[in-house]
Amino acid sequence: MFGNFIDQFWPSTIDGLSLGAIYALVALGYTMVYGVLRLINFAHSEIFMIGTFAALATLNAIGLSAPVGGLALIGLVLMLAVVAGLVSGASAVALEFVAYRPLRRRGASRLAALISAIGASLFLQQLFARVLIPWWFDLPKEKGALPIPKHFTETVDLLSIGDFIIRNDKLFVILGAIVMMIALDQFVNRTQLGRGIRATAQDPETAVLMGVNIDRVVSATFMIGGVMAGVAAALYLMRFGETNYFVGFLLGIKAFTAAVLGGIGNLRGALVGGLTLGLIEMYGSVIFGSAWQDVVAFSVLVLVLMFRPTGILGESLQQARA
Amino acid sequence: MLLEIRDVHVHYGKIAALKGITVEVEEGEIVTLIGANGAGKTTTLKTISGLRPLSSGRILFNGQDISRMPGHKRVLAGIGQAPEGRGIFPGMTVTENLHMGAYARKGDVSKDLAEVFELFPRLAERKNQAGGTMSGGEQQMLAIGRALMSRPKVLLLDEPSMGLAPMLIQQIFTIIEEINRRGTTVLVVEQNAQQALQLAHRAYVLETGRVLKSAPASELLDDPEVRAAYLGGGAGAAGGSGGSGDSGDSGGKAAAVASAPGEAAVVDEPVQKTAPDDRD
Ligand SMILES: Nc1ncnc2c1ncn2[C@@H]1O[C@H](COP(=O)(O)OP(=O)(O)OP(=O)(O)O)[C@@H](O)[C@H]1O
Ligand SMILES: [Mg+2]
Repeated sequence: MFGNFIDQFWPSTIDGLSLGAIYALVALGYTMVYGVLRLINFAHSEIFMIGTFAALATLNAIGLSAPVGGLALIGLVLMLAVVAGLVSGASAVALEFVAYRPLRRRGASRLAALISAIGASLFLQQLFARVLIPWWFDLPKEKGALPIPKHFTETVDLLSIGDFIIRNDKLFVILGAIVMMIALDQFVNRTQLGRGIRATAQDPETAVLMGVNIDRVVSATFMIGGVMAGVAAALYLMRFGETNYFVGFLLGIKAFTAAVLGGIGNLRGALVGGLTLGLIEMYGSVIFGSAWQDVVAFSVLVLVLMFRPTGILGESLQQARA
Repeated sequence: MLLEIRDVHVHYGKIAALKGITVEVEEGEIVTLIGANGAGKTTTLKTISGLRPLSSGRILFNGQDISRMPGHKRVLAGIGQAPEGRGIFPGMTVTENLHMGAYARKGDVSKDLAEVFELFPRLAERKNQAGGTMSGGEQQMLAIGRALMSRPKVLLLDEPSMGLAPMLIQQIFTIIEEINRRGTTVLVVEQNAQQALQLAHRAYVLETGRVLKSAPASELLDDPEVRAAYLGGGAGAAGGSGGSGDSGDSGGKAAAVASAPGEAAVVDEPVQKTAPDDRD
């Protein structure tokens, strides 16, 4: 059992990091919306799902005849990431406008917003399952819908030192996530709107007294979370080569778990939580078998929260609110 | 008239917090609102800043009706506030907090920053400290300095003396006077009535959502009813030093009843009670 683990250490570390990078990007959306509105945006998983379909549509439009590798693959992934990021970002803003803003205007309870979030999540899933996917892929409605796009990635081992092998697609996922995290960190700490987001997360009423337009901050927050989910979706499609209307369901729960594990409301916590969760899953599946992957992941979550209820890095954006 | 609050009603759900308040602030004045806990002082300031919607009435600023203007735009229009509890952003440094004060403004803020540091040298010493780890007095200075960063025409201060030691209260009040001398109009809410009345030009006494009296501050200092209810009763009372809850003890009530007739001040509403309603 543990012999396996030693043998598989490097491969599962790389797999864990590349899976964790996707969790981390999706977790950012949960954590930012939670930080600003104290709302768990249940429909965020569907924003991710929409991103995978935006990337898929782009891929179909390009019409590749064979898998690509090298620079061509980098260019292709960049393009998919831009399209999926924009589509997911716009969808997230629209979601907030339709499902949350009217409730916020009327001062509805957080519970009402949560129900609205669950409703929006189911609505989007069913919209894709029953309307968009059958229409798009010409499938009969009653068959459900699981269009699997053909793999487009030509995988190459970029570097191999003994057991330590880095494959190009896994490396792109990790690098892509790091680039997005750095960009976000700079945005939040250096731009005016970024400071508005931080202020709103710490004390929304005082933020208004500073002249912060809360509606704009909220839209920006959903936009950023959506863009991150869209980029994650493009990377996911490259890495796993498939999607379906419930692709976001389990991944969304995992990403939310990652956000809580790292400390919800905390941007760096999303990164730490995502990578930790990815590694735990991969190590767990090597040690106990892949059937136990999710059991291990959630057991660790429960254990961490028992000893550190605010997550690994704590809830830094929302500390000390009177 | 710089700021005019006309017959304003504000509700929290079904509960009326303000029941027709009229307050006027002239350019260049220091005006104070005093009153017991729950009188509606904070609600009044929040309503002026656009954090609470009006149920009825109007707010005029510079002659313009701002009753429906969103809160964030009122900052640009010239209304700055240091809120109750100070509202310091705990995860931001002193400098970042001050920059937040200039959030809505365009252009260079280094001059304003220098002026705030000149008024509050203590803040200059602690530029990079996290706001959440500052002491109560330092946070109060930061809150006032931050509100000044928006270059307000009128500065709203909600209980700047709360929780501060007497010496520090004196210091803060001196700085408020200096801010006013440099041209900023000030509307200050206080429970520390003695010192607020010494500071202000005019004063309003609020009681359970209504204006009980309004008069020049010096007159209210000598007003027997106000003395009894808000200045600790006795003849030579010094203002409360702790800053909280220095109002409405039972002795004060008895004295107020005894001295009810012969009021010098304008009474806005029929007086129902002569002592503040002590809630909670
Ligand atoms: N968020 C709220 N929800 C419901 N009622 C509220 C709320 N805020 C204030 N109130 C009520 O409105 C009334 C006025 O409150 P307000 O905070 O304006 O009083 P205050 O004069 O500032 O008191 P204090 O001196 O204690 O700060 C009180 O009766 C209070 O209970
Ligand atoms: Mg108050």
